[in-house]
This record gives sequence, C-alpha cells and structure tokens, in this order.
Amino acid sequence: GVRCFGSPRVLVEPDPAAGFAVMKMRNPPVNSLSLEFLTEMLISLEKLESDKAFHAIIITSDCPGIFSAGLDLTEMCGRDPTHYAEYWKAVQELWLRFYLSHLVVISAINGVSPAGGCLLALSSDYRVLADNPKYAIGLNETLLGIVAPFWFKDTLVNTVGHRVAERALQLGLLFPPAEALRVGVVDQVVPEDQVQSAAQSVLAQWLAVPGHARQLTKTLMRKPTADRLLKERDADIQNFVRFISRDAIQKALRAYLEKLKQKKS
Amino acid sequence: MALAVGMRVLTRSLLRPWFAVMKMRNPPVNSLSLEFLTEMLISLEKLESDKAFHAIIITSDCPGIFSAGLDLTEMCGRDPTHYAEYWKAVQELWLRFYLSHLVVISAINGVSPAGGCLLALSSDYRVLADNPKYAIGLNETLLGIVAPFWFKDTLVNTVGHRVAERALQLGLLFPPAEALRVGVVDQVVPEDQVQSAAQSVLAQWLAVPGHARQLTKTLMRKPTADRLLKERDADIQNFVRFISRDAIQKALRAYLEKLKQKKS
Repeated sequence: GVRCFGSPRVLVEPDPAAGFAVMKMRNPPVNSLSLEFLTEMLISLEKLESDKAFHAIIITSDCPGIFSAGLDLTEMCGRDPTHYAEYWKAVQELWLRFYLSHLVVISAINGVSPAGGCLLALSSDYRVLADNPKYAIGLNETLLGIVAPFWFKDTLVNTVGHRVAERALQLGLLFPPAEALRVGVVDQVVPEDQVQSAAQSVLAQWLAVPGHARQLTKTLMRKPTADRLLKERDADIQNFVRFISRDAIQKALRAYLEKLKQKKS
Repeated sequence: MALAVGMRVLTRSLLRPWFAVMKMRNPPVNSLSLEFLTEMLISLEKLESDKAFHAIIITSDCPGIFSAGLDLTEMCGRDPTHYAEYWKAVQELWLRFYLSHLVVISAINGVSPAGGCLLALSSDYRVLADNPKYAIGLNETLLGIVAPFWFKDTLVNTVGHRVAERALQLGLLFPPAEALRVGVVDQVVPEDQVQSAAQSVLAQWLAVPGHARQLTKTLMRKPTADRLLKERDADIQNFVRFISRDAIQKALRAYLEKLKQKKS
C-alpha cells in the first residue's frame, strides 16, 4: 500500500487509488493550534493540493476525545507584538487555505471542538460529528473574555444563518451533537465508531461531481467571504495585536491558563 | 417608579442580575406615536447611562397587545416637516434598541404587528405568550404600504431571506407555533409564564463577560445599522415622498376609517 507521510504533528494517510487522504491531527494533548502545528497543517495541505492524485481530504483527530481545542493561548499570552502578528497571520492562513481549498474537505469530528477547532471544522465542505454528548462544538470566545474575529463570524453565519450565529457567538455556545445538527453547525451525527466510515461514504457523493464545476462553484460561494479578509488582512493582524496586547485581555488569558493548569492538577 | 407618562419602568434591584422591566403603556394599543417614541428613547438612555443596569425586558402594560406599531395618525393628513420628524424618531428607535449595549429581551404578551414586530426583532431574544391571538409579523403590505429596507434587513437577519421574502410580501402575521417554527421568536411559553421566562433567559445572557458580549453584538449588528446610517437623510426623504402620495394618504385614511368603524 501507499506509505503514510506527514510531520510530527500531522499524520497523512493517503489512499490515492480512491483519490483522498486522511489528515490526522496529533498535537497532544488537545491539538492546540500552535504556530508549529499550523505550519505543519498548511504544509500537508499544500502537498496534497499539488498532487493531482488527491481530490479530497478527511480531517480528523488522533488525540482521544478532542478534535481541536483551537488557538494555542500560550502563543497569545506573554509574548511580544511581533510574535502575535506572526501567529495571527498563520491563523488567517489556516482559514483561507482550508476554506478555499479546491479539494473536497470533510471534517470527521471525533472529539470536542471549541473556538478555533470549530473554525477548522466550519472551513470544511461537510461535517460529520460523533454522537457523544461530550463532543460539543461552537465558537465560545466570549466565555474567555475575547471576541471572535469577523471572519470567524462570517463563516458561522454562512453555516447556520445570522440569527443562530448572533445568539451562539454572544453566549459563547458549545452545541452538543443533537443541537449542533438541529441548528446546522454539523451536517451529520453518527455513532462514534462510524465517524470515519461515514466521512468516507459522504466523500463519494462529492467526488462524483465533475471536479472543475464543483471547484468553480465552491469559489463562487466562498470567495466573497474570503475577500472580506483578504482586502484588509494587514489591518486585521494589527487589530489582533492591539487587542490581544491589552492589559485586560492579557490578564483574562493568564487567568484562564491558570484555571486550566489547576484543572489538570 | 414611573419615568414618564407613556412608560412605566420598573427597576429590579436584585443583587444579580441588574435589569429593568420597561412596560409600555400607551393605551389602547401602544401605538408608536412621536411622544411615545420619545419617552421610550429617554427611558432607554437613562438605563444605558446607569452602570447598574445590564439588561432590560420590554413588555406591554396594555392587555392583549404588545404594540400595534407605527401611529398612523402621525403619517396621515400632516405636513412634510412632521412626517420627517416622525420618521427620524422611528429610525432612532430602531437604531438605539438594535445596537444597545444592554441585553434586550422582549416579553411579548400581546399581538405585535408591523412596528411592534420591529421593536421585538430589535431585541436580543424574544419570548412570546402561547395565545393564538398573539400573532407577530411585518404586515405593512396589507395596509398598502411597504416596509422600509431596514425593517426588511432586521427580519432577514432573524428568519433568513426566503421566509422574509414570503412573509413581507404576504404581510404575514405568525401565530405563536408558526412564529417559533420560522424563528421570528425564540421561545413560546404559557401566557402566565412570559415574564418569568424572560427573566430566566436573562441570567444566561448576563453570565457572559459583558465587554466580550457587547463587542460581539456590535460585530453582528453594526453592518446592518450602517446601511441605514450612511443614507439616513435619504431614507427620511424617501419616506416623506412616499407617505405624501395621494394614493398612500387615501389608503391610510381608508384604513383609519375602517378601524374607527370596528371600534363602534
């Protein structure tokens, strides 16, 4: 068979005969989107996109119980403005590249998925969630005292509509599977041991469509949203650096990190 | 405590959460007259500038009606200067309630057409009493007039384009079950539980860090508000021109006449 490849934190299991690869996130313990991890994901995506054998990827997690905990708060706390800018640019890049990928992207969500983890899932074309009441998914930034960037908001609005997004974002809601399906954050909920096979079944439907027509249609649907960030990308980075550098925000993040430390011990 | 003639604002000084109940009492039907609009805006401003308050519940003190909406006597048989003054106040009501940094919950305890529906849609969350008479919707077309684009935008933001398109054209008033199903309201409860349901919901909203919630609300709503703000005067002129038309004045007079006859 074909050998797996990838990097320390991203394992790629290719199936070129079937035209897809499984991208397994393994940045224990919680697949935090650290700068290094983001870079590895982008490299893996680029490799798969430039290999004509691949038309689709399934993103999933290799860390039990978690899809991704989202942005790595240690990258956003107690660092200097240059680092914040570098980090945010990488987060933007993750969204832009996965959201606009010409590949079919399916998220096989096999764990809890807050904030940035939810964004990654929302960037894909289709979401399958394991039916485990612990596996909640949503953009819960407000609960940490921070605010989701406008392009997180846009992606959520495009998925669940303005009203649901408005309430979900303000309340920082994490939707358990039944609710996530009801409001449309995810497209399908299946028993936990069927998530990977369900994702692969769905792939077949997406790959049956003439590729160029599907890709152009995806661009038609998503480019306006992506352009809203692209036309002010640097300003968005500066906004982030300014916001995250604020004493009150640094204090809130430190308090949250402290709380997490205490939970562990 | 009463803050103004047309308004009764009850403040609840619970330790947590701090909120006020804004009870509309402009009998018989809480029409949004110029005076009433002014009093609502004054009350809102007072509550917004008092750091003790983080939320308001808007409800009605007139039985069976939340608000009948715009006061047609302000729009009929008056001069253009008055129409302009009135419309500016209607815009101000929407802008201020829609963008308020306070959590705004509508406890809808009566029928809520047109402007009444707009007021409810401007809030963060809507609880409706489960009474089949308490229909809610933007029914302007049935009166021969057209909902302004920012009424339409607020409805689209709430129920989506398709539902809004059909609802606006047909001037639909949704009874509770339908209103819940399409998403015009968020919750339907027995009539005697509307106020307590609204207060329960408040707790969830006030549990979120206030600054983060407010910035997020602005993120969600400012683009919609800006669409009016950037052409506010043009919107007033459009309204004055439209409402002054003979055909529209005739339709409004006929409707007011019909209402008079219904009463007697």
